[in-house]
Formats: sequence, structure tokens, C-alpha cells
Amino acid sequence: MSNRVLPRLLQTPAVLLLLVWMVVPLGMTLYFSSIRYVLNSLRRPEWTSPSLSNWRGFGNYEYVLNSKDFLFAIQNSLFIVCSILFLTVVLGVMIAVLINKSFPGQGIVRVLLISPFFVMPAVNAVLWINMILDPVLGLQGIAVAGINNILEVLRNWPILGGFFSLWPEFEPMSFRATQTSAIAVITMVSWQWTPFAVLIFMTSLQSEDQQQKEAAILDGASAWSQFRFLTLPHLARPIAIVVMIQAIFHLSLYAEIEIVSRGNGNKNLPYLIGEFSNNNIGAASATGIFAVILANIVAIFLLRMVGKALMD
Amino acid sequence: MAHVVKSSKFGAFGRPVLAWVVGLLFFFPIFWMVLTSFKTDADAVKPEYLLFFKPTLENYLNMTQNYDYWRFASNSVITSVFATIFTLFVGIPAAYAMAFNPSRATKDILIWMLSTKMLPAAAVLYPMTFLTKSMGLYDTHFLIIIVLSLINLPIVVWMLFTYFKEIPKDIIEASQMDGANTWGEIKEILIPLAWGGIVSTALLCFIFCWNEAYWTVRLTTTDAATLSKLIEGNRAPEGLFFGRLSAVSTAAVGPIVVLGWFCQKQLVKGLTFGAVK
Repeated sequence: MSNRVLPRLLQTPAVLLLLVWMVVPLGMTLYFSSIRYVLNSLRRPEWTSPSLSNWRGFGNYEYVLNSKDFLFAIQNSLFIVCSILFLTVVLGVMIAVLINKSFPGQGIVRVLLISPFFVMPAVNAVLWINMILDPVLGLQGIAVAGINNILEVLRNWPILGGFFSLWPEFEPMSFRATQTSAIAVITMVSWQWTPFAVLIFMTSLQSEDQQQKEAAILDGASAWSQFRFLTLPHLARPIAIVVMIQAIFHLSLYAEIEIVSRGNGNKNLPYLIGEFSNNNIGAASATGIFAVILANIVAIFLLRMVGKALMD
Repeated sequence: MAHVVKSSKFGAFGRPVLAWVVGLLFFFPIFWMVLTSFKTDADAVKPEYLLFFKPTLENYLNMTQNYDYWRFASNSVITSVFATIFTLFVGIPAAYAMAFNPSRATKDILIWMLSTKMLPAAAVLYPMTFLTKSMGLYDTHFLIIIVLSLINLPIVVWMLFTYFKEIPKDIIEASQMDGANTWGEIKEILIPLAWGGIVSTALLCFIFCWNEAYWTVRLTTTDAATLSKLIEGNRAPEGLFFGRLSAVSTAAVGPIVVLGWFCQKQLVKGLTFGAVK
């Protein structure tokens, strides 16, 4: 057995690196979260360097819990994550079922569909908020202006003009206000991640039991009930996995929020941490610990499922 | 749905048409970005040049002067390439140990590795800034390479582990009988046998490094700033520079999207940790 010692030791560099990477910064976050620590303070200069004599216990956590930004950021994080999950799973299942059967150009459609997933998040956000969603210069603005021009022409028609003059002038929507920019973020992230869901569901559909299906068809099951009672249960596990992987990724969504929403109040937890980090490190660290707890709740479920798969 | 084709017209005609429409719809924003990159900044915001315009290459030719593109691009290439190499260098021995010499702890170690990936980056933002600044590593290539390696190491170990597990153990054991040492075993047997898997793991790791947009933005200013940082810095051009912004965006994502086409199948393995087959 001694010749197995060296091979086993080969995993130590990876383990040690990850251990340091996890423990050191997280330990510091924990420490900073329980002391008074700000970057600039004329009144209390002793708070500007980390020291145990500035111990605050759970004071930072209390401060964060009582700030109205925190509750809003949690709500907004959950709103954004849940909306993205709902959209990507529903669209993902529909598209996966749609393109699972072979048709002319299936390979090309697959390639077209998966492309958004590889676009870097910063480009995704800049592209959508400027060139597509901008109320004046983006495609949205151009489309609304076009519709209004057509309506203008129709209003001058001899007979039907009266009917069209009842129609309102359309207003383009700005996606840079607090609520609407959350919608913009949801749209762009769903665009990027629906392909991921499609890809995983398609992989799973290929292992669907075809004999069971044919039996169901012989029994006269309709397409809908085949989907409802065979395909959907088969997809339950991949759906759970897609939901959890995305939840973990999107709870730490950053680039899109930063680009679309800087300064307009559409905050999520990572953004709030970034804001606190400009001065109040104690509060930023306490918020960070809350974010870790939130991510862990999701992670525990995912790790259980993956652990089970590993046993097979 | 195997027999729906017979019973409904939808299957024969509607399904392909709908599938194509969906595919084109999802691709449209990328197409639009590429199209806009060939318009001048002035033409890009004029409705009359929406589809028909005089294409120009000036946005691409002026990329260096407008955005200093090549500096950011070379930073992206350097950090992603070296991070990928370093991750594989640490990851291959680890995955080898886990796949062929498992102990009772292997499963727990693998799952623990994955759990490090789930820590929200923002939670350790200030400690990372503090540590790297005090060590003089802030805004250096070295730092970004290490950070990118560490955030991708769990996924890389997992992917390699799933590939290595598919190699019959007998082959490895036979080579042990022949007296091959561990290093020889990895170099002569494992790497050639798992070459395809290693290449696709590397490609995926490279893509993730290239697209990373938290640490590359927060831990750099100029020297090691990558393309993510460049685009993030030009977030609100207010329509004046759609043409040139599209060109630089296309140059930033184009190679990666094409690379992605080649490893889309491995993506499932890499991101679901073998839990979806």
C-alpha cells in the first residue's frame, strides 16, 4: 500500500491552495465584521485601522439589519434571482423540448442558441442597456418612434383615420430607473442563461426512456400528457440543478448591476457590500457574512444532490 | 414526441420554423452588435441606416487609439492563458489522485472544493483589497492569474475527475505493475489517454477566466486591467459611440463565442459536476 502514499499526496497542493483562499479572506471578513473599522474618520481616527480594541461584537450586524438599504437589497436580490430562475427554467424547458427532435439545421440552431452564454457579462450589459433598451437611440426607441410614425400616417387616412386617432401615442420606456433597471438586468441575464438551461435539459432529454414513451403513445396518450407525466418528471433533477447553480451564480451578480444601475438605487447584496466598502468596512463585512449565509442555504441543497450523483 | 410528426402538421413544418425563429431571436443581439460595429458612430444612431448603410472598418482600425484595446486584450490573454496552465498544473495531479487512488475522504474533499466556489466573492472584497495592497500585488498580472486559477480550480478538478474516472483502472494498474513511477504514469499513460478531456477542460477554464468580471474589475486599475474592465469603464456612452463601442465589444467576445461553440457539450459536464448525464 505504501506506493499509494505519493499518489494521494498529489492532491495536497490543490487542497492547500483552496484552503488558504477560503479561510484567510473569510477569517478577515469575520474579524472586520466584529470591530469598528472605517477608512476615513476625522472624529475617531482610531477606527481607521483594524484593531481588537475597537471590538464591537454584533454591533455591525445590528447596524446593517437596521439600515433600510439592507432589507431592500435582500428583497431586490431575491426578486432578481427568482425572476431569472423562473424565466430561464420555463423558457429552457420549452426550447429544449422544441429543438430536441432533429430537423433541418438543428446543429446551427443549437450553435446560435448557445452563443449568448459565452458573451462576457460586461459586454452583455453594455450591449443591452445602450443599443437595445435605450429609450431614444436604442432599438427600443427606434421601434417606438417607428410605430408612432406609422400611426401618424394612419390617422390621416380618409375613413379609418378616426379609428386610429383614438390610439394613444406610444411612450418609450426608460430602463435606468430603480424598478425598470431591475427588469433590464433580469432580461439580459435571462438572455445569457436560458441557453445554459436549454443545453442541460437537452442533454437530459437524450437519456429519456424511449420505450416508455412509445408505450404511452400506444396507449393513446396525448402529446401534452406525455410531456406532463413522462418528460417533466424526467427533467425534475436537471431542473433542480439548473435552479441551484444559477441561484449561486446570480446571488453574486455584479457586473450587470454595476453597469446598468450605478447610482439609481437598484441594489443587490454584492453591490451594497461594494458601497459599504467605500468607507464602512465593519458594515461591509457584516453584510458579506449575511451573503455567505444566504449562499450557503442554497449550496447545502446543491451539494447534497451532487454528492448523491457522485455515489452512482 | 416521436410519433407526433405523423399526427400533426406542426411537427413537420411548424417545429423547425419555430426552432429557427427562437435560435435567431437569441442570436439577434450578438448579430446587432456585429452589424453596428461596421457603422460609423454617426450612422449607428440614425434610424434610416438601421439595416442598410455603408459599411466601414474605421471602428476596428481606430480601436487602439480609441480604447487602447490591445493593452487590455493582451492582459486578458496573458492572465487567462497562465491561469489556465497553472490550474491544470495543480488540477491534473489532484484529479489523478482522486480518480485512481481514492480514499474515504475523497468524496468529502471534492464536495468541499465545490463549496469554496459558492462563497460570494463580494463577501471577501475588502480583505482581498487590503491583503493584495499590503503585499504589493494589487493590479499585477501575478495576482489576477492566481485569483483566476483559484476560482476555477474546483470546476477544473471536478471536470478532470469525471474524465479520469472513465479511464479503465486496469490500464493504470498495469502500468504500476510494470514499475512506472507516479510521474511517468501521469505523463505516459494518463495525459495521452485523457487528452480530449483535458483539452476541453482547458478551453472551458480559459473561457471562464476571460469572462470573469468581479475580481478583474475590483482588483485592477491599469497595469493588469482586462477586457472586462475596459468595457465596464465605458458603460454609458450615451449613444455617441455606438459604432466604436460595438467594434471593441465584438473584438472582446468574438473569439470566445467561437471557442464556446466547440466546447458546448463539455459545458454540461463542467457546470453540473457530472450530476446530469
